[in-house]
Amino acid sequence: MRNLWLIPVACVVLVIPATVVLASNGEGAFDGVVSSIQSKYHVRATRIPFMGLVSLISHKATHGGVSGMHFAEIENFQAPVDGEELNRMVEQKLGAGWERMIRETSRNGKEQTLIFVHPEGNRMGMFIVDKDGNEMDVVQISVDPDHLNQHIGQYEHPHRDGEKDEDASQ
Amino acid sequence: MKKHIIAVVLGVAAWATPLFAQTPSLPLPPAVEKDLAARASDVTEVTLNKSMLGFASKFMNGKDKDEAATQQLIQGLDGIYVRSYEFDKEGQYSMDEIDKLRQYFETSEWSPIVRTREHGEITDVMAKLVNGESHGMFILSAERKELTIVLILGPIRMEQLSELRGIGGLGALGAMGGAQHGPHGRDKDKDKDKDKDKTGDNDQNKNKGTKDGGK
Repeated sequence: MRNLWLIPVACVVLVIPATVVLASNGEGAFDGVVSSIQSKYHVRATRIPFMGLVSLISHKATHGGVSGMHFAEIENFQAPVDGEELNRMVEQKLGAGWERMIRETSRNGKEQTLIFVHPEGNRMGMFIVDKDGNEMDVVQISVDPDHLNQHIGQYEHPHRDGEKDEDASQ
Repeated sequence: MKKHIIAVVLGVAAWATPLFAQTPSLPLPPAVEKDLAARASDVTEVTLNKSMLGFASKFMNGKDKDEAATQQLIQGLDGIYVRSYEFDKEGQYSMDEIDKLRQYFETSEWSPIVRTREHGEITDVMAKLVNGESHGMFILSAERKELTIVLILGPIRMEQLSELRGIGGLGALGAMGGAQHGPHGRDKDKDKDKDKDKTGDNDQNKNKGTKDGGK
């Protein structure tokens, strides 16, 4: 009877590591991709300070529409990029479950776009790698389309429907 | 004990299945796709499977009449695959490769609905017909320095293509579907096709000569 207090403690001890692992899963993939790019192309990524806070605010502001934001910017990216190699590297670091939705690549390596998605129940994880000239951005977000659409709908122009009706009548 | 072993095996299999899941690719001969990508200066690949289409459809406003129709269309589709290759110079792909791509769909299920040959440009549209209903569409557009392949799986009609123009990378479908909106749109293409067929052999030979000769 005296040892009953051990039960909640044991539960907490068991639950905390699982929660940490689940929470850091997305971050782990993001960090993995960014560090691979850094070491492969000898570049340095700039992290936005207080990104966690920005992510929290965006989560609140969009009523859960957007969350889990990660962002890294690489400037002065001079190294040549083989699109196939970059794609393989990102795929490998993201791991199973992520599916490539869009890939745009130019042979000269100046423009590369990769968009991967990962279903997360009602949400969708999105991972974007975009290189344009000498700049590369790596972004990861989790999106709830229902909430986001509802939120965006609030800001739709009231005359939009009217314009459509006018178009239809012409 | 036996039940336990089966449970463990099933558990391991269920856990391991996603590890072997691969990025879905266009259901075309992979060698052709890879060869074309290796020679192209710019490559665009859009792969939208059923779950991704379901996700994309959620961004549409169900209250808007037009968007609701598109939403319904997208939700019914099984996949949209786009491959676009741009080349630095002419003759970077051969007629053999075009034929290989086309042959892949020359089965009893797929029927050609549009076929044009004009000034070295080729457009082929094939539909997968199941009980008279279109359950897929394959579009091949070959220009001198550009090759575009679009494969749509699921119930779709030619005139619905323009509804997909809002989805990233599918803007060109708008023009293709829009051309069918006229009262005689489809017939016009058929006529064009017939006209081409009359001179088709000459044009085709001319094209073949250009492409192969350029290579």
